[in-house]
Amino acid sequence: MNTIRNTGIAVVLAALAAGCAETLPPQELVMARATYGRAAKGPAGSLDPGDLHSAQESLALAEQSFTANGDTPGTRDLAYVADRRGKLAEARGDAMQANQRQQATLGQMHDAETRQLASTSAQLGRANMQVTLQGQALQNQDQVLAVEHQRRQEADARAEKAAADLAAFASVKQDPQRGMVITLSGGVLFVTNKSDLLPSAQIKLNEVADALTKQDGESKIVVEGHTDSQGGAGYNQELSQRRAQSVRDYLVSRGVATDRITSQGFGLTRPIADNASAEGRANNRRVEIVVQPRAQ
Amino acid sequence: MYKSMTPVLAAFLVTLGCGGSFPPPTQALADAQSATRSATELGAARQPMAQLHLQLAQEQIGKATVAMKDGENERADGLLRRAKSDAELSIALTRDQTAKTDATKATVQSNAQQTVNANQGAAQ
Repeated sequence: MNTIRNTGIAVVLAALAAGCAETLPPQELVMARATYGRAAKGPAGSLDPGDLHSAQESLALAEQSFTANGDTPGTRDLAYVADRRGKLAEARGDAMQANQRQQATLGQMHDAETRQLASTSAQLGRANMQVTLQGQALQNQDQVLAVEHQRRQEADARAEKAAADLAAFASVKQDPQRGMVITLSGGVLFVTNKSDLLPSAQIKLNEVADALTKQDGESKIVVEGHTDSQGGAGYNQELSQRRAQSVRDYLVSRGVATDRITSQGFGLTRPIADNASAEGRANNRRVEIVVQPRAQ
Repeated sequence: MYKSMTPVLAAFLVTLGCGGSFPPPTQALADAQSATRSATELGAARQPMAQLHLQLAQEQIGKATVAMKDGENERADGLLRRAKSDAELSIALTRDQTAKTDATKATVQSNAQQTVNANQGAAQ
């Protein structure tokens, strides 16, 4: 009896199954299978296994429903959802692949930027080095210039001192026609009626010689001898000539070039003061060193 | 004993297999609507495939709402499950599109950078 009852139940179940099932799978299930197959072969297979697994489970549920119930609305719903899950896994796999591509590209860009930066930095270093070297060169040049400037200042100071020293015992005038006229008093240079230079005069003339050699080496120099009106004109002419010659020779011995310096005696012919007074006569006894302006 | 239970079991199986009272799928409706909103906010309308699935989701939610009013709760539940899966797919497609766009932008930038670097290199 029991066997018969069990058989009856089995028949009822089989009838139910036959009533609800179709032999062909629904369109949704066909699509879901294809979608899953495609997704599993795509990037999701390696990059998004979680979503792919979820799609697989959905598909399994749909398959189970189809096996158990056939082509029912429930099976179709499950298959539809399984298809979307498969497509979702595909989309996420693609997105992850795109992300990886983007990250790789950004990484390459970063590397390129780093290399560029290193290259620029190296160039900057070289440029800085050059600037430093140039700066040092300029500093050296400045030092050279400073030394040169110092030398010139010292030379100028020496020339000024020489001129000042000269002015201390000789008057220096600029004559428009004759040039620079250095007037030395005869009393300082010579003993009366003599043409030999006094030792003290030699020291003074050293300074004159220094001043002349420091000055323009091209200009011609004439040493002129002058006397007062005491004594004969011939004697004074000859005395003035000898005195002028004596000064000229001494200046030559102190380095003034022979070809630029000459001497000439004028005797009493060119007084600059009144011979009636002792002071006037003293002024007239003189040697004038005339530095002529250079011929243009 | 077994004899008396056979019709009961058969009735239960019929109820289970071919329909009967099914509770209103309010949770499924909320889930589907939530996913649809997310897809819309994410900009699914800008990507054709994402837009298609968003539209499918919206249509299915509409049909499900009508079915629920008609008392066809089980059918509504199936529609809402479909709607949710479409909306979620719409979200994934939108994000995929964004990722692909970003990757393309990066490639374009990288090419531009290479050109600039090459020019600078040539200038030096």
